Amino acid sequence: MLTFAEYLLRGTLAGAVYALLAAPMSMLFATVRTIDFAIGGYALAAAAVAASIDGPQGLVLALATAAACAGLMALIFVALKRFGCDDGIVYALASFGLATAIASVVLWSWGAKSFVRDSNAVFWSIGGIRVAQQGLFNLGVATAVVVALHLVLQHTSLGRMMRASAVNAVGASLAAVPVQAIQTGVYIVGGLLGGLAGLLVLYSAGLDFSAPLGLTLSGFGAAILFGIGSPVRCLFGGIAMGIAQAMASGYFSEAVSAMTPFLFIMVVLSVGRSGAEALAGGRP
Amino acid sequence: MSLVRARPNTFLVILCMLIALPIATRNPVSTDSAALLGIYSLLALSVGLSYGQAGVLTMSQGAFASLGGYAAAIATTKFGVPPFLDLLPAVALPALVAYAVARLVTRLPPLATALLTLSIGSVIAIAIRSAEGITGGYMGLAGIPGLGPIRTPPAYAWLAWAMVAFTVLLYENLVCSAYGRALNVLRHDHARATADGVDPPSLISAAFAISAAIAGAAGWLYAHYISFISPESLDTHLSITALLMAVIGGAEFVLGPILGALVLDSLTRLLPAAELQGFYYGAVLIAILLLARRGLLGLVQAAFARLRTTGDAATETAVTLSAEGSRP
Amino acid sequence: MRGWTRDFFVALAAISLATPALAEDGPVRIGAVLSLSGPAAVFGIPERDAIQAVVAHFDSTTKAGRKFEISYYDDKSNPTDAVRAVTQVASADKVVAIIGPSTGSGILAAGPVAQRLTIPLIGPAGTLAITDPKNEFYPWIFRAAPSDASDVGAILQDIAKNKVTKLGIFYQEDAYGKTGVDLAREVGPKLGVEIVETASSPYTATDLTAQATKLRNAGAQAVFLQVSIAALGSSFVKAARQVGLDVPTYANAGLAQRSFAENVGPELNGLRVLSIGNLPYDPTPGEAELAKMLEAAGKKPQGWGELTGVNALMAALGAIDAQKGKEITGQSMRDTLETLCDFEKYSRGKVCYSAKDHDGWHEDSLVVTEVHDKQLRTIK
Repeated sequence: MLTFAEYLLRGTLAGAVYALLAAPMSMLFATVRTIDFAIGGYALAAAAVAASIDGPQGLVLALATAAACAGLMALIFVALKRFGCDDGIVYALASFGLATAIASVVLWSWGAKSFVRDSNAVFWSIGGIRVAQQGLFNLGVATAVVVALHLVLQHTSLGRMMRASAVNAVGASLAAVPVQAIQTGVYIVGGLLGGLAGLLVLYSAGLDFSAPLGLTLSGFGAAILFGIGSPVRCLFGGIAMGIAQAMASGYFSEAVSAMTPFLFIMVVLSVGRSGAEALAGGRP
Repeated sequence: MSLVRARPNTFLVILCMLIALPIATRNPVSTDSAALLGIYSLLALSVGLSYGQAGVLTMSQGAFASLGGYAAAIATTKFGVPPFLDLLPAVALPALVAYAVARLVTRLPPLATALLTLSIGSVIAIAIRSAEGITGGYMGLAGIPGLGPIRTPPAYAWLAWAMVAFTVLLYENLVCSAYGRALNVLRHDHARATADGVDPPSLISAAFAISAAIAGAAGWLYAHYISFISPESLDTHLSITALLMAVIGGAEFVLGPILGALVLDSLTRLLPAAELQGFYYGAVLIAILLLARRGLLGLVQAAFARLRTTGDAATETAVTLSAEGSRP
Repeated sequence: MRGWTRDFFVALAAISLATPALAEDGPVRIGAVLSLSGPAAVFGIPERDAIQAVVAHFDSTTKAGRKFEISYYDDKSNPTDAVRAVTQVASADKVVAIIGPSTGSGILAAGPVAQRLTIPLIGPAGTLAITDPKNEFYPWIFRAAPSDASDVGAILQDIAKNKVTKLGIFYQEDAYGKTGVDLAREVGPKLGVEIVETASSPYTATDLTAQATKLRNAGAQAVFLQVSIAALGSSFVKAARQVGLDVPTYANAGLAQRSFAENVGPELNGLRVLSIGNLPYDPTPGEAELAKMLEAAGKKPQGWGELTGVNALMAALGAIDAQKGKEITGQSMRDTLETLCDFEKYSRGKVCYSAKDHDGWHEDSLVVTEVHDKQLRTIK
């Protein structure tokens, strides 16, 4: 029983990072009806910079780098719109191009080395299970971010404007909502959050130049699991995915444990209604 | 002449094939490229069919091709099936798997479909590499025999493009048929399609299954050409590349995916190699998306529409009818 | 009218494929097809850097005074691209030998091409299957690194020597990881080491505490890491410490990289890593020479990728020199390589190829090292 509880706890803590990656995705989706595939790239860029520069200035620079990359994506987004493109798929494909470019630049600048930092090795014991302080910190950060996003989206006028931009951009702009500015801002905040996730991974497991796509897909899965429209659901999605993976790794063979996150996603997508319908309003 | 007018895309492919292949097969490098481009074109066409026609954004074509390739490899190396006969399992297996999961896919909008097909592709890949006894696990299967009389790279190149031409013919037939028109209506308006008496789920499932079959055929050809297949040969990265090929060329056009395959492949070979290749690749991809959001053929069509007088609008063929609409 | 323009575009693109190759005379040409991008770039990039450093140091001339030229291609850690690169370099650049591809699957895919175009491949890869005599293309493949079997055998011997009877293995989900586990399961019991549990993860896992917990709960007395991704290795040792898996840790040569040693904290001093030579931290005189060349080229030694890449180069150059005065073709290179024994190189161990042995490299080029203060110190 203790073993089961242990995997449960470990999975929850691991899922916090997925939630942090998923939250900006859901926010972007709520505002622009697209996915930013470069989230993993922002995380990598931040981790690479923070691993190279010590101290708090390293962290600040790291987040600034991630935000700058996201700013680049926002520019591309604006340019695409200016050229008359309204298709969320195209924005997503462009962000995939950016993710590839970021990973390549990191490989070129830093080589194939891994980025990992040791947080202070303080361990707490929860019900007999040894847990690193970093893991709990990750969970705390993810929860705080998700709650903050939720509050902004649902209870502030900014949030209302964001949601309006997604539902009806023309109508929103007619109502004096600065749609383009909001959407650009959302991309950049996404960059900051992705960068934050990268920093957390840097201090937990570590990562290298091949990480972006995997991180993005984990975030994507966590975002979509329980309904992409809401940041709070991202937290649960991330934790659910973390637990699924931990259980699978602990109990099952390599094949099954490798398949688990994907089977999980497939089951939820095909059975769940809330996830599917929250995504771009289904088919006409 | 009316045959040409009825199936212009097929005619075009055959024409280009007859002009370019004799030149290309004069040296090993371009022969190899020609054969691989034929295989990539098949994959891109399968995405074009699935996404451009049925609106299913698929990221699993690499996995379906892998299924086809492994089916071919296992049939010939472990069961001694004669070379061309193994095309049957190579095409049937992915189609069956695709049809089975298609029911999950039909109700979902594009982004969810993308994630779902990505997951399916990953599950297939994991299953293949785990069935070590029969698939050789991570190490794959080497020593896959040739295809009877087709043994040299030039022969493979001709076969590959013959298969492309055949697939384009099938694609054109489909687009011009009642089935194709029904798919067209479906892409624009579900309710209208149901009112017309078509059954959306089975229509979309069939289209997805056919596209998986085409991918399986590409995998079959790959396995015999390279004579080696491993889990890394036809993987998720290839699925994404095939999608990009279709989108860059113009997913809604019959020939779009082929053009996209040619362009994207030339790009990866012309770009400076090593660490920064990803950077150039991403940059060029973004540039193309900025300039040609409906794909390169969309760009060409738009350019021509501006030059042309309005009179021709009435004589559009079914091919261009399907090219008209934008995706939901 | 519109159809013709489409015709033009497509035909133009198609004809762009048909560029004939030009033949050239001059220095002996060698190809290098290495993983310069993708996961295997961790080894491919040092391979390339070291080859370039040696070539620059010797001014592209062999010991016997023969001029040579190397063209570099990227196999992108992918078998399809490996085939294309090998085809390109073999037919367009008219090389007589190819160093690479860097990956086992790349070599297996490119084998038939090498056979067809009669160019030998000298591959710095440990994958067992590449020198399997059952391969039809066997005569054309030579190995430039100890095989996975040698690696696993060597580290398991060290594990057994330290009186470990219950071993837990953590491995990455790819060919390298799985092969290591299968070999360990085969060899371990013969040495008295029982594999009590294994745990795996894909390259990009962000949390390995569940895997570490699994090994801890199985009562492992020691942990063996069959991993080649440094980030994964350091993630696991961190996770192990976190869940209380405080047992001796051994790693296969995949982790003998600067990027791993530098990221291991002081509490993991004593972690044993198998290595092919010890170029970055404890070089033999030969290895030190190579390190100097690398420094001259502005590169820092990363691990053993430099050694295996240069091994392949030195084998090719040795074969060229052994054919002094004769015309060199792919076929003659292959035949000469099979007779090559104890040629000049920078790594330790004795290397001999023969008709029956295309591996050449064995345990004597391996050392066991231990992590101390972010460096790998040679134990024996």
